[in-house]
Amino acid sequence: MDILRNWRYVLVAITMSIAVFLLVLWFPNRVLLFSLWTDSSASLGDKVRLPVSLLSALGTNFSPLSAAYTVVIVALIGINTALIIYLLRARGAIAGGLFAGLSGMSSGILGVGCAACGSLILMWLLSVAGGVSVLSLLPLRGGEFGVLGVILLGYSTYILLKQVIRPPVCEIDTSNNSN
Amino acid sequence: MEPETKKLNLSVPLAIIVAGLFVASAIALTRSPAMFPTESKLKPITASDHILGNPDAPVKVIEFSDTECPFCKQFQATMHRIMNVYGKDGRVAWVYRQYPIAEIHPKALKEAEATECAGELGGNAAFWAYLDTIFEVTPSNDNLDPAELFTIAQTIGLDRLKFESCLASGKYTAHVAENIQEAISVGAEGTPWTIVVAANGKLYPLAGGQPYAAVKSLIDVALQQK
Repeated sequence: MDILRNWRYVLVAITMSIAVFLLVLWFPNRVLLFSLWTDSSASLGDKVRLPVSLLSALGTNFSPLSAAYTVVIVALIGINTALIIYLLRARGAIAGGLFAGLSGMSSGILGVGCAACGSLILMWLLSVAGGVSVLSLLPLRGGEFGVLGVILLGYSTYILLKQVIRPPVCEIDTSNNSN
Repeated sequence: MEPETKKLNLSVPLAIIVAGLFVASAIALTRSPAMFPTESKLKPITASDHILGNPDAPVKVIEFSDTECPFCKQFQATMHRIMNVYGKDGRVAWVYRQYPIAEIHPKALKEAEATECAGELGGNAAFWAYLDTIFEVTPSNDNLDPAELFTIAQTIGLDRLKFESCLASGKYTAHVAENIQEAISVGAEGTPWTIVVAANGKLYPLAGGQPYAAVKSLIDVALQQK
């Protein structure tokens, strides 16, 4: 596949995955980080050390299940983005998989992290909407969004990969030639 | 031309997503009550607080916690490690306040009251001993057998009958509710929710059960504030 031989698409996938990973880990402490980065009395070392140390929260602030689907979602979002850009550049458009991809990304972003104890995007959205108790009705207490995100992103990746592999030909419409 | 109609131009949905992200970020930054937490929202630390370490320490770590939250359980160990390093020479004090999230952990409300009863019957040391034991015993996520509350009280040497009477009276229900209200007003979006208070009054809110290195970095920043 051309896409694997082109380092730019690999770079897009890795960059996107890293960006989403940082967003997931830093979003709960956006206030602290903003305050630290804009504090003139804090040293450059402090401004770097704290955000870097927050990255290991994947081991302390996530359940094993949420850590696992967070890593998978982050990787799939990177792959999906690279595939979409490849198809847009190589073919000018894509024929399918977009809805599943966007739904998967949305659901995945909602579900990543510690839904049970809050402090991530889903808990924040629910607290703004006043619906935190909804989580107690779900067996995985919000982890469902993460699992759904993995399924939709997996499906989207499959659809997009099929398009990447398929040669760019003008298809014959056989629907009117049944006889 | 048939295949053309099936194709989908991505520019519109991508623009919507990018715009949505900008709007969401703007809402997140402006609606969060924790954007710049002020001292007026955070109740002052008094002798009635549960304090571990030097009450006059230059840096105070105020933690809002839920005994049924698995991340609070892990964070309890992290905070003890912090106190072993910064508490012995009186540089840091740990202040514990209640934030049981009743919507997802209904049992945590009574457990919070139980810790208050332990404090009343056995003093500050009993409060911390009870709290440590409850975190040690509970499987988290609202799975602690309520009978354990009495067993723990006995284990740490409290009078079981007095403890039962205290817990049944509901005398700390209002206190726990006040703590919850305070947590919400300072911007807590989940537990554990920690606010590091520097000597000059500057507040650093830390969300979640963050690793030891992150808490240590933040305390080092706070210790530099004069």
